[in-house]
Amino acid sequence: MNMDEELQDGRLRELARLLGAGAAERLDVERTAQAVVTRLRQQPRVMLGGWVWMQPAWLKIAAAIVLVLGAGLVTRGLLRERVPTAAVGAPLGEDLSDLTADQLRETVGALEQPFAEESPGGLDPGLESLNTAELRALLRTLES
Amino acid sequence: MPHAQSLAAADAALIAAWQGGDEQAAAELVRRHARALARFLGAAGAPDADLDDLVQETFIRAFRAVGRFRGQCQFRTWLLTIGGNVLKDAARRFGQVRVVPLDDELRSRDGDPHETAVAGETEGRLREGLERLPHMQREVFLLRAQQGLEYEEIAAALGTSPGAARVHYHHAVRRLKESLE
Repeated sequence: MNMDEELQDGRLRELARLLGAGAAERLDVERTAQAVVTRLRQQPRVMLGGWVWMQPAWLKIAAAIVLVLGAGLVTRGLLRERVPTAAVGAPLGEDLSDLTADQLRETVGALEQPFAEESPGGLDPGLESLNTAELRALLRTLES
Repeated sequence: MPHAQSLAAADAALIAAWQGGDEQAAAELVRRHARALARFLGAAGAPDADLDDLVQETFIRAFRAVGRFRGQCQFRTWLLTIGGNVLKDAARRFGQVRVVPLDDELRSRDGDPHETAVAGETEGRLREGLERLPHMQREVFLLRAQQGLEYEEIAAALGTSPGAARVHYHHAVRRLKESLE
């Protein structure tokens, strides 16, 4: 059989018309119609609007922005809280008896820093005159 | 042409009724177009087992987006192009593997075993050829050859020009003939 002779455009169109015809005949149209109506009923009517069709994309973008901004704010907040605590809190957490007098003075100075910055007079001038035991007692007071 | 116009008017009335909340109008649109859609999807490569789901999904998408249908083409033509996209999405999700059954209509048309075998083989090759075509060529070919639509109508539905639709069709025919040789 010569394929070239058989497969003219008309023949091709005829074949194309027959493709899928059997499957289409087997389709239960009424059942399909009821299934479509049921699915439409289960979904909100607002979906008909054109702009709502874009909602999934908008929602994804909005969710991504919220996540990025939220993560940024949380990170910033944590860093702000952590810096002064790290600078001052570490020595206070350790045993004060291990510290020398100079280290104790330095720690007390660091603890008093915020107050000292507010008063132009600087650090308490009497700090230098305190001995080790007095410094430890002062630190414990500040710590509490 | 007057027949096509009356069909379009009936579809437009049903669409308006559906937009007004009439569910039975949606059901009637399904009844009017489901079989043509199934035939189009079947020819485009939809497996028999998935055909009902694909038809349903196409109608759901169409009803959701019907606000964007401006009557630039027949409702059925617009529906078929949505069906083509639904099928493309499904093929992407599940892979391109499909069973190619011999169409009952082709097999039972002729009692001659030789003719039946040739028809089945030809149909199989045509299906394979269609599957290898680019999406646009396949859609244009089926809209033209299977649904019998004019190039103007096809172009309006696919958002292209009639000339471009004609070129797609001729490329498709050439490639299909090659695959059948």
